[in-house]
Amino acid sequence: MARRKKRAGKGTFSNVELPVAKSYLTPSSRNRLLLAGGAVVTVLLAWVAVDSWIGNPQSLSNGPLSSNHANLEDNCAACHTEDNEVSNAACSTCHEKHGDELGVFTFASHYLYRSNDFQRVVPSPDEEPCHACHIEHQGRDAAITQVPDSRCLSCHQFGSFNDDHPQFEFATSNLPDDDALAFTHTRHVNEVMERGGLEDVEQACLSCHHPRPEGKSFQPIAFDRHCDVCHLTTSMRTPPLPVRSAATGPAGVETLEAIQQRGGPATQWAYFLNPNEFRRLGDRVVKGPLYHRDPWVLENLRGLRRALYPEAGLADLLTTSPDVPLNELATLYREAIATLKGQVRGLRARPEPEVQEELARLGALLEELERRLDDPYAPLDEARFLLALGPASSSLSETEVEQIEALVTALTEPCQQCHRVDNATIARVRQDQRTLRRAEFNHRAHIVQRRCLDCHGEIPVSEFLGKSEPAQASLDRAAIHNLPRIESCQECHNPKLASNRCVTCHLFHPDQSRRSQLLLYIGDEPEG
Amino acid sequence: MSSQPRARLRKRPPSVRSAARLTARRWSWGFVMATSLCLATYGANWLFAEVSPGSVWGLAYGTAAALLMVAAALYGMRRRALSLASKYRLGSARNWLYLHLYGGALFLLLMLMHSAFRIPSGAVNWWLWLLSGWTVASGLFGLALQQWIPRTLGSGLGLEVVYERVGELVGELRDKAEALAATSVEPVQALYARRVAPELAAPKRRWIYFLDITGGKQGQLKEFDYLRRFLSSEEKEKLGELARLYKAKLDLDAHYTLQTALRGWLWAHVPTSMVVLILLILHLGAVFYF
Repeated sequence: MARRKKRAGKGTFSNVELPVAKSYLTPSSRNRLLLAGGAVVTVLLAWVAVDSWIGNPQSLSNGPLSSNHANLEDNCAACHTEDNEVSNAACSTCHEKHGDELGVFTFASHYLYRSNDFQRVVPSPDEEPCHACHIEHQGRDAAITQVPDSRCLSCHQFGSFNDDHPQFEFATSNLPDDDALAFTHTRHVNEVMERGGLEDVEQACLSCHHPRPEGKSFQPIAFDRHCDVCHLTTSMRTPPLPVRSAATGPAGVETLEAIQQRGGPATQWAYFLNPNEFRRLGDRVVKGPLYHRDPWVLENLRGLRRALYPEAGLADLLTTSPDVPLNELATLYREAIATLKGQVRGLRARPEPEVQEELARLGALLEELERRLDDPYAPLDEARFLLALGPASSSLSETEVEQIEALVTALTEPCQQCHRVDNATIARVRQDQRTLRRAEFNHRAHIVQRRCLDCHGEIPVSEFLGKSEPAQASLDRAAIHNLPRIESCQECHNPKLASNRCVTCHLFHPDQSRRSQLLLYIGDEPEG
Repeated sequence: MSSQPRARLRKRPPSVRSAARLTARRWSWGFVMATSLCLATYGANWLFAEVSPGSVWGLAYGTAAALLMVAAALYGMRRRALSLASKYRLGSARNWLYLHLYGGALFLLLMLMHSAFRIPSGAVNWWLWLLSGWTVASGLFGLALQQWIPRTLGSGLGLEVVYERVGELVGELRDKAEALAATSVEPVQALYARRVAPELAAPKRRWIYFLDITGGKQGQLKEFDYLRRFLSSEEKEKLGELARLYKAKLDLDAHYTLQTALRGWLWAHVPTSMVVLILLILHLGAVFYF
């Protein structure tokens, strides 16, 4: 049976007749909440105030500095100016401490780093301060050199590496590789494998291409180490060459005796050469055997060139042509200095005191130039050379020019088995084999995962392995860039595999090894 | 067509409840749209540009988050300045509440977008990030309590009381029970002394009310039922009255427990939100100063 609910009487409520409130009830105040919040806020502000008053407000810092700058943690003023800017000057205080003149960390050096283009050294409105890319206060473990792609893309209008990276310049321009050398890979690989009894083609590659210690690139190919075993034999000799006389005029070679009698700087070698290597055939002479950089051939070649190009100037000090990329100019300077030093040595036998004084001064100057070439921090503006062949001599008749050029061809006939000769000068073989200069490629990191021919497959070495006939010239010659295209890189460097960030391959700042080359350009006002 | 049916078809003015429902629907749709827009923007940012607090995108998220934070905080001020709100027509309380709720939730999303969904470095930034999350989470928790507790209290208990009167009413019950027990037989007095008197000493909070609003009331009254068999009809009446007083006390305890929670969550929300505002000012100051 359901129990009847007891009804509340007047002034009461519920079945137990509780009294209703006699007056309006004010809800409990929330001031205590605000007071509690205010107390916490006060403590917070006091902490910030005390922290700021002490000197270096760590409480307001955006975070700890990276480990590279951790020693500056308690010294805000080291980077922040009174206006609380972080200027490039603050960065250069440490980072360019040993040579502000280098300007390594400037945009100017960045423009020149890979382009070698003087016209690029023009201030750009897009240039940003150091801290825009190297973002600090991101914690101790932050890698501030790992600049995000977006910083690079703010100037370089590319998309991501996998979608919109431009093709390599060598592939788009279709320009040949520097083919100053006649060389066939297929023939040489087969020769090396056969002589060494090698079974793996990679061993053949590495028998000539020796990696540099840092693993990035390879040591230059050297004739003495790699070529002379096969290419210099006792049977190698010049064709009969006309001996210079009144009848031949300049279109003749000087004999060893004539050079010895003439004397002059840098002809000491003539006294150490074996006269039996020359065979006189009437008014002609044959030199054999020949050496690499044979001094007699080079001396005569220099003489012929001097006849053709009397205005060659300092280019005359070089053994081969002065055509090098701008970043390799230092090589030319070293070579010219070596020639001059040889000539100074050659004149040491002169008895006159005034000559000896001049030679001492000249020697000291050359030493100083050489020292500055070795010092990446020393400016070298005064060490510039004018390296050019200049115009052909106008005093020679057309017939004489033709005769001299024919003699040059005959004199260098053994050389031309491998070398190209232009303008009576042996074309310079590039020692630095790098083509992709705008990126940093590390062979060591890649060779453990891929084989040489996986990337360098433009020349069909594999197809001609073991075949007696080398590939035809259209397939195998030095002018072919035996390099992969960008698609080959993109196979592995993508978001799912290897890193594909800009800084994985590219450097903004020039690396240390290239400082001395940059010295030649930084500080120059662009012409015009 | 005559004018009579046309008049019948004329739309009736919406009731207060339906107007409230319409407002709620507009705000929830607005929130969904704004959230979608934010997420789409962030997706585009992620695809096309750098995701970082210092980028243009990141600064835009941060600015929007700061504005929403301030707007959400103004709700508390508006509550304390009702006369000003009505004088200057600052909008209805309902709209301010929705701005507080949805704006606060959107603030958290924009703040996370600003920090690129990463924990920031730096003391102020870290605390701002952490307490922002805490404030919004405690606000959502409070919203859930406000939706659930009044409904539970209204449906599962026999009386409704104002939180501030619970102590007074418990005293009232104690007086009544004492008077009743004094005139009862010895077994009833013993039951009162052992079971009822300690319970009526003061209001008590029990966790059980969060799970079961009755608090296991029937189980606790079994002793009363057992004793009733051995009493005369007059004593049975007294025992029944004592049981009603005991039940009323348990209901008051339920009110006391749940209404404490209904007020207590503000301690987790209001002081931290004040700290977040100050941290926001410090953060902005540091950003502009450095």
